Amino acid sequence: MKLGDKNMRSDDLHLSDSHLSNEQLLLAADGELPARQAAEAQAHLAACWDCRARMAEIEGTITGFARAHRQTLDPQLPPIAGPRARLRAELAGLASIAEISPWRTLLQFASSRLTAWQFSSAARAAAFAGLALLTALGVGRVLSRHSSPHAANSTSVAFERGAVPDRSLTPGATRRVTIGDVCSMPHEEVVGEVSTALRQQVFREYGIVDGRSNDYEIDYLIAPGLGGTEDIHNLWPEPYLSPTWNAHVKDALEEHLHEMVCAGTVDLSTAQRDIATNWIAAYKKYFHTDRPLALSSGLI
Amino acid sequence: MPTDSMNELTFPAVAAGAAISAGPSEIACEVMNLFDQFRNPLLRYALSFGIPVHDAEEIVQEVFLSLFQHLQLRRSRKNLRGWIFRVAHNLALKQRYANQKMLGRTANECMAAQNQMDPSPNAEEQFSSAQRRERLLAVVYALPATEQSCLRLRAEGLHYREIAGVLGISLGAVSMALTRSLARLIRADGR
Repeated sequence: MKLGDKNMRSDDLHLSDSHLSNEQLLLAADGELPARQAAEAQAHLAACWDCRARMAEIEGTITGFARAHRQTLDPQLPPIAGPRARLRAELAGLASIAEISPWRTLLQFASSRLTAWQFSSAARAAAFAGLALLTALGVGRVLSRHSSPHAANSTSVAFERGAVPDRSLTPGATRRVTIGDVCSMPHEEVVGEVSTALRQQVFREYGIVDGRSNDYEIDYLIAPGLGGTEDIHNLWPEPYLSPTWNAHVKDALEEHLHEMVCAGTVDLSTAQRDIATNWIAAYKKYFHTDRPLALSSGLI
Repeated sequence: MPTDSMNELTFPAVAAGAAISAGPSEIACEVMNLFDQFRNPLLRYALSFGIPVHDAEEIVQEVFLSLFQHLQLRRSRKNLRGWIFRVAHNLALKQRYANQKMLGRTANECMAAQNQMDPSPNAEEQFSSAQRRERLLAVVYALPATEQSCLRLRAEGLHYREIAGVLGISLGAVSMALTRSLARLIRADGR
């Protein structure tokens, strides 16, 4: 339907054919009429006091509404400076990653976007935590040479050698499960032992020689209690000796996420994605802390 | 006078030609320029859904992060203003639904809460002017959601084509919604 057509008349308004309808007046006032009809409307308005009076009435009400709209909402608007700085920092982070690898940016973006949305209270932390994903993507060293101080700080805190898996080798793998499946038994009972053959396969994949294999636990990236499978894509050698972000800390996260999923406070798919993307960032997000809680209390 | 080019509203900072070879830093810069231009209009629009300021601010951040992704993927730069408002509209609807579900509130209760947030008229304001504002807003709150959105988007300067795109309705429907809601406002105004 084209604007200004006669079949667009409003039921509320009945006007004689010789005058402009209120809809035509509004279209004319808003600059929405096609050029020819606009010229005709102007010519009519110049000649017709009645239509001009109605036009003035419409304009007056528009002014009244526009003022009411602003007066009601403007006092609620916080200053722009804070949100502006936050967006700038987040964009700088995303842009610096994108300079290195565009598709990885989008992957990272999708992750931070989802978490920011679903956990608005932790949105800021989640978006920044996305940078820690760089370590999992194996680009941390490149970024540390990059000019962004924000990126350098974030990665240096999160990164410990081997604390997060090589994402190209261990992207995470899940089986088709329901909430009922994963919540029907306690988290610790769901975790099984990885077979010896598979353990050796994982060590070979990561280039770890037999003599050093005792330094590692073959761990599930996505825990079985969250639907993770005993698949080589979901297993990686996690160092026992990492001073901060070690297997014990990850176990605490897995248990916490399991509880949250079963309590309905986190989607199962979100929990899986977050832990697979970067479990350290996930820990910080879900425990609202920058370092392991047990470390703070001297338990590790 | 408007032409079809209205539908292709572009902004100086995001001229289509310049964008083709823009790198991530340039895109981030463009996004910041658009943020400066549209943060307040978007925040007002999100707030008009009756959601808390904190949530509305999150939505605005989300919109511009999505815009970065949109531009990074070299998607259409036509009518970016309409695109921005459409994303905000969808997120605000989702957030309102989530809040209502969480708090067990009905839409009417949210609306009442919004009314209560209205600032009282300041001392210098004429009493009749404040009364008029309350009267007009009462009519607006009673309008169907689409008509309210049409009015608020128009108040933020969007063209009819952009409003149609944001709300997923036809151009004629925008025109009719605005005419109908203004007729109601005029009637209330004349009382």
